[in-house]
Amino acid sequence: MVFQEAFEWKIAIYLFLAGTGAGAIISGALSDIYKREKYISYIKAASLIGMPLVAFGTLFLLFDLGQGLWKPWLLIYLFANPKSVMTWGTIILALFIICTTLYGAYNLGIIKFGGGKAIKVLSIGLGLATAGYTAILIGVLRAVPFWHQSVLSILFLVSALSTGISATLIVRELFFKDESHTEVYRITHFYSMIIEIFLLLSLVVVAFNGVPEMIFSIKTIVFGSLSFRFWVGVLLVGIIIPLIFSGSEKLHLDGYRMIIIESMVLIGGYNLRIIIVHAGAFTDKFANYIVG
Amino acid sequence: MAKPKKFVMAYIVNRCIDCKACMIACKSRWDVPADHFRTHIDAGNCPTMPGKTRTHYLPSQCNHCDDPPCVTVCPTKASHKRDDGLVYIDRTICIGCKYCIVSCPYDERFYNEEAGVAEKCTFCFPKIYEGYQPACVETCLGHARFFGDINDENSEVSKVINEAVKNKQKVWKLRTDLGTEPNIYYIQY
Repeated sequence: MVFQEAFEWKIAIYLFLAGTGAGAIISGALSDIYKREKYISYIKAASLIGMPLVAFGTLFLLFDLGQGLWKPWLLIYLFANPKSVMTWGTIILALFIICTTLYGAYNLGIIKFGGGKAIKVLSIGLGLATAGYTAILIGVLRAVPFWHQSVLSILFLVSALSTGISATLIVRELFFKDESHTEVYRITHFYSMIIEIFLLLSLVVVAFNGVPEMIFSIKTIVFGSLSFRFWVGVLLVGIIIPLIFSGSEKLHLDGYRMIIIESMVLIGGYNLRIIIVHAGAFTDKFANYIVG
Repeated sequence: MAKPKKFVMAYIVNRCIDCKACMIACKSRWDVPADHFRTHIDAGNCPTMPGKTRTHYLPSQCNHCDDPPCVTVCPTKASHKRDDGLVYIDRTICIGCKYCIVSCPYDERFYNEEAGVAEKCTFCFPKIYEGYQPACVETCLGHARFFGDINDENSEVSKVINEAVKNKQKVWKLRTDLGTEPNIYYIQY
């Protein structure tokens, strides 16, 4: 069996950054709708990083391009094929960046008009679309059976929310720290990581019982060359340690210790994207057709 | 009214001796990048009959599918299905996103670093309209490869496929289970 080699670390970084930026906006805008005054420091932090993370991630997509990079006028053709998930993604990203630039600028006090509730709801919708799209992009490819399962989009969405909260908490701690509570984020974060474990388990179980290419992919993740990244990078660093610290109010940290723990979630989020991208193996083109 | 042209290829796999002349002929005609080929010969062992294990050589290249995943995913429509059955990449608008490369179940596309575009077998378009056969077909020593219009009953490829079907030889295409409707016929006596 052959691993795909066309999508590499640049794509994984994009999937990670776009998910994290979208997650930050989703959590920020939800807090905004719920109680703006109470969570204003969190909303400001989310506004500061939401759009820039997604835009920065999109830059990696651009740098991964071939001819499109040095002939940028060709990029207008990205809207040409309504059947292509990449076309959908281009539209989603463009709308997300426009919408969250406005929303972020309003929250940070740069512009006066915020667009009211509509722009909050729109930001959440586009955030969900951006985070989900990062998985749908590779999930629709029937050529790579390991990616071709619907749990991937939910896993990426939950992971996006989790990393988005982490990134926002770090920025809040560094630039917008005030006396307000972050208890609600600790709890949300805790449950999102619990759900992530179940989704990962489902991914592993389904793949181990899948077609040979899926088994090949998941064996590489669980036992093979990607196993260190999986067990240590994703599970231990990205989920289990942060889970312990966010599971109890007593253990919940602040200051630089909190930043370290939240950074671990981000490392886990990136590792998750890169193992999924690298473990993708093509369907075996000659399987079952060689006869004696 | 005559049916439109539909170009297909057929391999009689017993005749393939893994000489790789097709790979080289293709490379020299189309200036394919050094570390890539547009057609491949894969070797497969047949383990189903103990004591009689045999190695088979199976050529492959772009299947010019009727429902090509690469065309569906291409955001710029650079990859498109032509009326004559060819799946063709318009190099002037390909942006090199590599999405088509990961979408191909046959792993028959690759990325041309120098031009920054995706590349694959074109059945030697436009040479086939100038009276030439595809380079791999022209050069094949064992005469394992046949090319032509399957809607023309008198074309060589139609005759070879019909003959094989009539003689109850094994005729198959790769991974039809994926619904791509490929257009390369494998024949084995």
